[in-house]
Amino acid sequence: MESNKVIENKKAKKKRNSQLSDTWLRLRKDKLALVGLTILVILIFVAIFADFIAPYKYDAQDLSNILQAPSSEHIFGTDEFGRDIFSRVVYGSRISLQVGFIAVSIAVIIGGFLGAVAGYYSGKIDNFIMRAMDILLSIPQILLAISIVAALGNGLTNLMIAVGISSIPQYARIVRAAVISIKNEEFVEAAKATGSGDLRIIFKHILPNCLAPIIVQATLGVALAILTAAGLSFIGLGIQPPTPEWGAMLSGGRGYIRDYSYMTLFPGLAIVITIFALNVLGDGLRDALDPKLKN
Amino acid sequence: MEKGKMTKIALALIVVLMVGMLAGCGGGGGNKSSNVEDKDELIVATAYDAKSLDPHAVNDVASSNVMLQIYDTLVTIDGDGNINPSVAETFEQVDEVTYKFTLKKGIKFHNGEEMKAEDVKFSIERAANSPAIAHIFGDIDTESFEIADDYTISFKLNNPNTGFLSSLAHTGGSILNQKAVEAEGDNYGMKPVGTGPFKFVNWAKGDRVELEKFADYHGDEPKFSKMVIRVIPEPTNRTIELESGGVDVAYEITTNDISRIEENEDLQLSRMIDNQIQYLGFNNQKEPFNDIKVRQAISYAIDTTSVVETVWRGVGKVAEGPMAPNVKYADHSIEVHEYNVEKAKELLAEAGYPDGFKTKLWTNEKQERVDMATIIQSQLKEVGIDVDIEILEWGAYLDSLSKGEQDMFIIGWTCQTADPDLALYGPLSQETLGAGANFSFFIDDEVNDLLIKGRRIEDSPEREAIYKKIQNRVVEQAPWVFLSNGEAVVGSAKYVKNLELTPFGYHPLFKIYFE
Amino acid sequence: MIKYIFRRIVMLIPVILGVTFIVFSLMYITPGDPARLVLGESAPDEAVQQLREEMGLNKPFLVQYGNYIKNLVVNRDIGISYVTKRPVMQEILSAFPATVKLAGLSIFFAIIIGIPIGIISAVKKYSFFDNISMIFALIGISMPVFWLGLLLILLFSVKLKVLPASGFSSFKDMILPAVSLGAQSVAVITRMTRSSMLEVIRQDYIRTARAKGQKEKVVILKHSLGNALIPIITSIGLQFGGLLGGAVLTESIFSIPGIGRLMVESIKMRDFPVVQGSVLFIAISFSIVNLLVDLLYAYVDPRIRSQYS
Repeated sequence: MESNKVIENKKAKKKRNSQLSDTWLRLRKDKLALVGLTILVILIFVAIFADFIAPYKYDAQDLSNILQAPSSEHIFGTDEFGRDIFSRVVYGSRISLQVGFIAVSIAVIIGGFLGAVAGYYSGKIDNFIMRAMDILLSIPQILLAISIVAALGNGLTNLMIAVGISSIPQYARIVRAAVISIKNEEFVEAAKATGSGDLRIIFKHILPNCLAPIIVQATLGVALAILTAAGLSFIGLGIQPPTPEWGAMLSGGRGYIRDYSYMTLFPGLAIVITIFALNVLGDGLRDALDPKLKN
Repeated sequence: MEKGKMTKIALALIVVLMVGMLAGCGGGGGNKSSNVEDKDELIVATAYDAKSLDPHAVNDVASSNVMLQIYDTLVTIDGDGNINPSVAETFEQVDEVTYKFTLKKGIKFHNGEEMKAEDVKFSIERAANSPAIAHIFGDIDTESFEIADDYTISFKLNNPNTGFLSSLAHTGGSILNQKAVEAEGDNYGMKPVGTGPFKFVNWAKGDRVELEKFADYHGDEPKFSKMVIRVIPEPTNRTIELESGGVDVAYEITTNDISRIEENEDLQLSRMIDNQIQYLGFNNQKEPFNDIKVRQAISYAIDTTSVVETVWRGVGKVAEGPMAPNVKYADHSIEVHEYNVEKAKELLAEAGYPDGFKTKLWTNEKQERVDMATIIQSQLKEVGIDVDIEILEWGAYLDSLSKGEQDMFIIGWTCQTADPDLALYGPLSQETLGAGANFSFFIDDEVNDLLIKGRRIEDSPEREAIYKKIQNRVVEQAPWVFLSNGEAVVGSAKYVKNLELTPFGYHPLFKIYFE
Repeated sequence: MIKYIFRRIVMLIPVILGVTFIVFSLMYITPGDPARLVLGESAPDEAVQQLREEMGLNKPFLVQYGNYIKNLVVNRDIGISYVTKRPVMQEILSAFPATVKLAGLSIFFAIIIGIPIGIISAVKKYSFFDNISMIFALIGISMPVFWLGLLLILLFSVKLKVLPASGFSSFKDMILPAVSLGAQSVAVITRMTRSSMLEVIRQDYIRTARAKGQKEKVVILKHSLGNALIPIITSIGLQFGGLLGGAVLTESIFSIPGIGRLMVESIKMRDFPVVQGSVLFIAISFSIVNLLVDLLYAYVDPRIRSQYS
């Protein structure tokens, strides 16, 4: 029995490893996805080394030099406080990526757990959890965000929590579906037979084997989270000045759109490029992880 | 929902859609009529929709702006602060607390009823019981109404208050028709009936209010027959509409658009400093702001002029004292406080903070306040004060301010009548600490005594002296850093004449004519 | 069939109860006093207290919630707005037409553009047209609606001066908002149409149809599209349901007084009855759209129809 289980487990692990390298091989052939990956890597690089890339501090005001059009000194121009827009866009990558990744982590952890429990136990627990998810889906994101922000205060962390909580149901659904499809497989049965605890089975055997849809959804989810956060700070929720969040920069620039449209142009472009990269990467990953779906 | 209602809604939807399509085919919202003399409609773009057209249900500028065209008050205030009769032919202050009014005869409500003393009693009594305007009308003694005949009425206040007569010109003092109010019940706010120059036709919430000239108006007949007050929250869009001829008048033109309008030869700009003051308040009861030296130091450290110029760029002005300049008895000899970093550092050292300290600055999400906070933050860094800006959402902001949890905060205060009492009593008296607008928890016996005295005595050089003394004392005590006074900036087409602005943010549009 | 619809409606009840309860709790724990907000910062404390009493805000939480539910069930009444003092239903009904119009137009726009492009892309897989439209679709999905809105205003209202930047009464007014709101739906529907068509085209019966000498046009439009429709309808339904929830950003950029803006304004003013009412309204209309989509499946696909009986 014991050895049987070990073998099953090894098989599963091996399957996973070869799956990973297969995935990578397939992904490498997808040019668009590679473009996305490259952009993302550059963005992460920019975010990490923002201090060295940005010519100015993101909050350095120069009141004698406000609303300057792009020039060699300020390649993206300056904003209403004379701050260098290029530097703010550069630092903004930090904020957006942080919001995206952390919000999605919150959602994946909580949603994944709930989904796994629902899928594994089915029946009443499943019903209860999924109805709760339906309810959570019906609560407008804005309401959740305003409540959280009003109760806990404005700020990056609370914004991430708000965005994270409201995307929990998505992950719960996906993980639940994946768990249901996998829970009757042999190696799970084997683990059960050896008397492993339910939690152990879920975490050790089931979840690692349904990573594919989670990864795909998470990649797309990061894009969605960045967009949502930008939207919330566009309507004035979430970010404290002088934090250079792209959505907040757009919102600040919209009053100047007619005479100083570059103020909204660059942060907007930054958002589009980031989201584009994440979306194509997500698409590519989906195709690579599940070749059956590829047309 | 019953079936009939559903059908009605469905029908209404279809009609709306069809009208919409037809209007679309009509092409262009442009109403630049080739002949200005034929123009018979005024379209105004405002930033906010009215909340209700019941003068006793709300107290906000957008609602007042519509109500001003629909209702009359007993008296009105002109640009110089003089009180003039309106539906009251004469008025008289009988003693310290008693007011007597003789009404004009033959004034008609929009529903055809004649306005009589009973309506005045009904309206003023209703105003006195309304929480929304309690700070203006709450002190009326509702037991004291005396109606001598249909056109003569008198009533008393519980306490003497010299500013009261000018309060009656506030839209909360509008005269309503008792029958109409009782007939409509909860829905009265959507079906107002007044005696004013324009009568209510339709209100598409969030979009527009439509009014029509009232043929039996008792005053000067308006020169056009239809008025549309549109809601366009985006400032840029208001200017775009004005430029393209979609509207004749646009409220709240922002700084960015001022020069565009000035340079456009078809357009003109009207401006007036309003009764608002934006200030940075300290929590005067909390360390380290309970030390006057710290408060003064921060005043010295903030270059108000550059803050205001950067943020408002030419709109409004740098505030000098606690009272806006158009309020009665504003002391114009007070100057903008000095900007002096060295002095600020000295004072901080004397107060025991040679290296500054760490503190928080609160504001709500209003863009200009956030911008001012951002600049102040970087200016205070110069004297070693490390400021964290926290943006609170408005509801939470008011809540926390009244509980006294703040260190420093930025907020505005508007004097809703022309009397100095309303400008100073709320934000500075001891009666109103916290909830009631004294958010800086400023406790100063001298100021408090003078405030109480000021609201009791008649207009006179002595009253003037009291209010000037208050202003100077407040400047000296520095409970706030005075930042800016607001300004009504209204753009209009060149052919719009006689656009009169008031310092209250709502304007008598019915006086406009086209030429 | 009627039984099925009835069952679906009954299933709504626990969701509605849950939603009202959560919204109620959220509003309850959110700092900010509705009475204070209605009266403004200048109002004296006594007036605020008096109004709180009138609004019933001084009662314990569960009593307030109980009263709300009682009123909802017994009188089918969702209360009166704190701010405007009008019945909440009226507030919602006056905001809803604008939202429906905007959502309808956006979806219409998404369908007439998305489906044809999706079909052509699928038929000419990996062609230049396909590549370009797929990249555009990806850009469409990546475009924040508020930025697209600003760009459209900049181009069509400011530079070209051909379309208004605000208002919603005429068809012309609605073009820019509908385009910026619909862009994402166009992208989603295009992609969905393409992949769903590709899936179907590979099936045996299509090959059979072709082998039988059917015209290509007939094969594509009749045999393939018919069978590819289900996922396309699902995604249209989801999109439309989402748009009905109000597009706060689009509504605020283009000054459209729809349900999204009503809700945000009410949340800011802590106008609990209106918040509660509009969330309920949105949740219910979303469910109804979902139900309609499911019924539409049954209509399109006889196999599903048989399951309902």
